Amino acid sequence: MIAVEDRTVDAGSLATELERLGGRLMMLYATASACASVGPELCAFVHAHDEVIKLRASVRGNAYPAVTRFVPAAHWFEREIHDLHGITPQGHPRLEPLVRHAPDEGEVKLFGEGDVGPTHRGAERLAGPGVFVIPYGPVRSGVFESAQFLVQTGGEDVAYCAQRLFFKRRGAERRICDVPLELAVLVAERVSGTSSVAHALAFSHGVESLAHTEVPPRSQAIRRVLAELERLYNHLEATVRECEDASLSVAQAEFAALKERLHRLAASVAGNRYLRGAVLPGGTRIDLDAQTVDLIAATMSAWEREWQRVLAMLLRTDSFLDRLVSTGPLSEEDARDFACVGPVARASGIDLDTRRDLPYDGYQTFQVAHHSDGDAMARMEVRFQEVESAVELIREAVASLAPGPTRSEVGSFVQAEALGAAESARGETLYWLEADGSASLAQCKLRAASFMNFGAFNRVFDSQVLTDFSFIEHSLGLSPAGCDA
Amino acid sequence: MIRWFVRGVTRRRLTTRYPRAEEPPPPGFRARALLDPARVDPRQAWRAAQVCLPKALTLDPEGHLRLDAGRCIGCGLCVDEIENGVLGIDSGYELASSSRRRLVAGDVQEADIAAEVLSRPFRRSLHIRHVDTGSDGAVEQEIAALLNPYYDMQRLGLFFTASPRHADVLLVTGPVTKPMEAPLRRTYEAMPEPRAVVAAGTDACSGGIWTEPEVLGGVDRVLPVDVYIPGDPPTPIALLHGLLLASGRVREAQPPIKQSAA
Repeated sequence: MIAVEDRTVDAGSLATELERLGGRLMMLYATASACASVGPELCAFVHAHDEVIKLRASVRGNAYPAVTRFVPAAHWFEREIHDLHGITPQGHPRLEPLVRHAPDEGEVKLFGEGDVGPTHRGAERLAGPGVFVIPYGPVRSGVFESAQFLVQTGGEDVAYCAQRLFFKRRGAERRICDVPLELAVLVAERVSGTSSVAHALAFSHGVESLAHTEVPPRSQAIRRVLAELERLYNHLEATVRECEDASLSVAQAEFAALKERLHRLAASVAGNRYLRGAVLPGGTRIDLDAQTVDLIAATMSAWEREWQRVLAMLLRTDSFLDRLVSTGPLSEEDARDFACVGPVARASGIDLDTRRDLPYDGYQTFQVAHHSDGDAMARMEVRFQEVESAVELIREAVASLAPGPTRSEVGSFVQAEALGAAESARGETLYWLEADGSASLAQCKLRAASFMNFGAFNRVFDSQVLTDFSFIEHSLGLSPAGCDA
Repeated sequence: MIRWFVRGVTRRRLTTRYPRAEEPPPPGFRARALLDPARVDPRQAWRAAQVCLPKALTLDPEGHLRLDAGRCIGCGLCVDEIENGVLGIDSGYELASSSRRRLVAGDVQEADIAAEVLSRPFRRSLHIRHVDTGSDGAVEQEIAALLNPYYDMQRLGLFFTASPRHADVLLVTGPVTKPMEAPLRRTYEAMPEPRAVVAAGTDACSGGIWTEPEVLGGVDRVLPVDVYIPGDPPTPIALLHGLLLASGRVREAQPPIKQSAA
């Protein structure tokens, strides 16, 4: 359960207050106030000095001084607030539509030249003969999720790259509040289908907090097995994609086969290759019998041997290393300013991991992966370290399976609010839930890891060339589905 | 490089023999729910319909229970809710069908439609263009898995192509969100005829758990769909079955009807 300290501030001083607090902006959103005369309310969550602080501010007259001027990480949140609530953050450097798309999607333009925050280099407006924009997406060459990248180039060097998302917005937050509370976890599982466990966990942690429910130790251990198995196949996906980009067909096939074995294990454990329907508020729906435990142990030890063998070969392959080292560097300053999370932040020297910082489900001390180079190779090396620790965590969780129930009854609650968090393979996943005593939730704000990391997408193209694009993209390992929600 | 070459040629074969051999998923796999329409008790039926998030199980005014496999996400909550064997879980893998009606148990009896091999303008090789119109991201990975050594779809003459101008099949994943409607239409219009549209995944078949206003519904709200592949997400084998169905090389799936225990 995450303790959230509630503070009320004036909307005019929200920006300075956030800057004063320092720390990391977790999310910022607006909510329609219950009392019509007061007007909408802004809610900002900050993680500072090992505390989660929620700042509330009432907005008068549908405008307030933009937070983005001091806290660059707020840039997408404020555009979202502007789109959905018609509230204007005054002084926002780039207040264009974000989640609401213009009716005609046929026209492609590079968004305005403004950029985020006073400390950041603005995009240089290149013009003249030979400078053009490649509109890449939303339907892209290959099997990819829909997202658009507008790449400005003179032929080889990337002058500027603008990311355009929210083609896939399905209204998950609204849907979670529409459906009965006991079915809402099924929606959370499908926000980002490759992070089903992390989303189900973050949502369930929120509900368990609302109801002050303790999860039995046995289901905590099962949850750790599921969460780490999910981390493994997501990190393998990033590895497969990088091998594909480097045209290493055998390596690609080897890692893809390793990934397939994990999905087959998942199907045996949970009845679904993406571990859906396994986690629910109060515990887990599945139990691990002795036979399954043996299967997990046997599969993981064979799997790990194979993984180490192929990885050692990969790390000796110059044509792979040449493409990743120094490619797509994200500076520590940028990662901090844009509040990046997960392996992307850890590879740029930021020490954060939800499993340690906002602990849940009995995660004991473990080594948080760390790197300081900030390039594509650093991001992959962070993943390789996390694969090792995930295998270890699975082994340890299976060994610590205590007999007992796998689910505790979720108590009733009337009016309550709570924050749920979990570390997906892509980073911190958050669900803020508000209940008013009815059969479904009154309010849900979810923030997937990819929302933060996509916000910093155009910061990694400094002196990069076009052919590095896919290496950079896949090293970030983003989920448009999670970002768009 | 030489090390990779040696490793590549010395590995044993992993590839499935499907469709020439069976490829069953592990026991306990939840592909879709099954319904025995003959044995429905109306009071229980109401309870089962209540826990169905995507409204795959619905109760009509006369009290007939209807199960739409095109909406089912295989969560299995309905089976947990009533335990007398009216509902069951199918762990099958050949789930694709060319008509939306065939995916429904309750209004169509199994005997009404014989499993048939479709007559298709395509035989053998297919070139596939994929479009994501709002999926959850897992279907894309299952489609990409078709290229891994376990499934190796190229052995069946199935290929992905970057340009819609070279494509025979448009493989669509996800419910259609508003911003993706126009790109989906434009991709379809860029394809030469004859062309086929395959909806991959429960979301694409019917919209699944997603509703208006953000989502328009299944792909068939926008384009004529030739093959529906339900599944949340559909497994690589289920996808292969659907793609082979589009080229008339396999039989259609049966409706989600549970055989009576008697």
